[in-house]
Amino acid sequence: MQLTLFWIFSSLMIAFGLGVVTLRSPISCAMCLVSSFICLAAVFITLDAFFIAIVQVLVAAGAVMVLFLFIIMLLNLQAEECRRVKLGVMLGGAVVVLSFMVLLSETLESSPQFSKMMPPITASSQDVSMIGMTLFHSFNLPFQIVGVLLLVATVGVVLLSRRTLR
Amino acid sequence: MNPLFLELTVVLLGIALLMVEAFFPKLCKKRLAFVGMGGLFFVLLLTWLPMSSVSIESAPFYTIDNVALFFKRFMIVTTILTLLMSLDYIPVIERGIPGERLGAGVGEFFILPIFACASLMWLVSAVSFILLFVSLECMTVVLYISISYLRKDPKSLEAGTKYLILSALTTGFLIYGISWIFGVTGTTSIAHLAESIVLLPASSMTPLLFGTGLILVALCFKIAAFPFQFWLPDVYQGAPTPITAFLSIASKAAGFVLLLRFLEQLYLIPTLGKKVFAITTLLAIVTLLFGNLAAMAQTNMKRLLAYSSIAHTGYILMAVASIGAALAVPAIGFYLVAYLAMTSLAFIVLMIVTETSGGDEIYCFQGLHERSPLLAAAMTVAMISLAGLPFSAGFFGKFFIFQVAFQQGHYGLLAVATLSVVAGIYYYLKVVKAMYWKQPSETCTPITLSKLTTVLISALIAVIIILGIYPTPILMSLQ
Repeated sequence: MQLTLFWIFSSLMIAFGLGVVTLRSPISCAMCLVSSFICLAAVFITLDAFFIAIVQVLVAAGAVMVLFLFIIMLLNLQAEECRRVKLGVMLGGAVVVLSFMVLLSETLESSPQFSKMMPPITASSQDVSMIGMTLFHSFNLPFQIVGVLLLVATVGVVLLSRRTLR
Repeated sequence: MNPLFLELTVVLLGIALLMVEAFFPKLCKKRLAFVGMGGLFFVLLLTWLPMSSVSIESAPFYTIDNVALFFKRFMIVTTILTLLMSLDYIPVIERGIPGERLGAGVGEFFILPIFACASLMWLVSAVSFILLFVSLECMTVVLYISISYLRKDPKSLEAGTKYLILSALTTGFLIYGISWIFGVTGTTSIAHLAESIVLLPASSMTPLLFGTGLILVALCFKIAAFPFQFWLPDVYQGAPTPITAFLSIASKAAGFVLLLRFLEQLYLIPTLGKKVFAITTLLAIVTLLFGNLAAMAQTNMKRLLAYSSIAHTGYILMAVASIGAALAVPAIGFYLVAYLAMTSLAFIVLMIVTETSGGDEIYCFQGLHERSPLLAAAMTVAMISLAGLPFSAGFFGKFFIFQVAFQQGHYGLLAVATLSVVAGIYYYLKVVKAMYWKQPSETCTPITLSKLTTVLISALIAVIIILGIYPTPILMSLQ
């Protein structure tokens, strides 16, 4: 059951991901990205990681992507013109991706620990408080540095996006 | 003193300056820069106080050893130099951004590097993948903004976009690599990585190598080693010159510190160490060859310095590949200090020449000795040092690295490096030739320098020559 769901959602995810890259209208790209995020959330649910799944839907698919769509509509972006992709570039890209996939599958096959069945996670009712404890207690220093990162990013957005600086 | 107070002071300094900039927008921006430099200098002095160990919560992430302290000072000095350079760059910034009045949006150009400095200081202390990732991202965000700062200039925007996309891609590789290593070893600690690997069965080695490879991709992007150097020339050319200097010195040094911390652990595992060091040796060879050969054909000064920066990555990678030698870490430290002095000197001269003659091609340097003897002398010293000729810091930098490579028996690498040095002498002295032996193409106007710039240039020349005669203090502080 779990495996079937995994295959369904992950293949959907890849299909939508391809849509993001190949479609030309910005709105369809953004919608594909939302759908891809939702499929990822579904995969998290099949892995019993409910909190991450909900955060994925709320933050990534909800907040961030709605913002994306707003920007696209506010800027009134038109569909991109079709570009001709050179054959050499396409072949080169295909070789890189294929060799990476081969490497990945070899790595997965090389080690028996990846085909081992893991027991399901128990006691996941404490999910949120456990993540909170880990984040604010054990990972306090990196967490505070993220604060500095956000501050810098905010300043940068204002600097780069205002029409005229005051 | 708790070492975390160092970074805290730098962050607070940055926030205070942002506040001042927000509430007193009419304030002279130069004052902001001087307060920033003063504050950073104060923190630099603080690093010589005796340090206590960090609290138990922070200890898994943060270490304060000799290497960390040395590179914290290195990062602070680099940031101060960047701010000093930016003072001369104010007219270009004012032209490059759309402001309501003169001076709008200039203040942040001085404040953002301070935040980058804080994140670099965290970065060189990082002994956990989590802290590494977070502080690396923090630094990169500052760089995204600073590179595309001159947004009226399409080149600056192009450089910013290129850096954003490629850097985000390599961040993906970094995170993927970290998750593989976490998946295999169950730890995100770099300091205890070797201890966890020893306990693993032999079948875990392939996934571990896979993760290592992915992390190496990301770090090689930061230091601009050969197959991951494509972004460098364009970004160098488009970015504001002080930021180019910062990118080329601080970001590279940070990449090498991380590489050292990570590879030191892998070196403790013989089977893994051998493979990883074969890769580093190969990277060093191709980077040396590519950087030097491509630099020979350049006619633009910024691009020449970009390819020379790739070549220098190659030399430092030689020492990384010889990490088993006792002197490897001091050799890298010394090389980076020499690189700091000579590269910033070259960029300062380049910035002034670009502003006064309207271009950064090598022919703009023609007849520079008639326009400003000090600038020509400074550029000559910088080029001699970059080429690695005796009595300059660059000579000892290369000497120590060749020494450790010889001790570890990397004879093939040494042969390639010797060829690279010869190629280097050719293209660095091309600039010297243009300055002294060629007639200026346009009417030559003398360049007047501000007092501060004169002092800065003379000080850098002195540092390069002194380190070229007496390199011991730098080596001692890393042993």
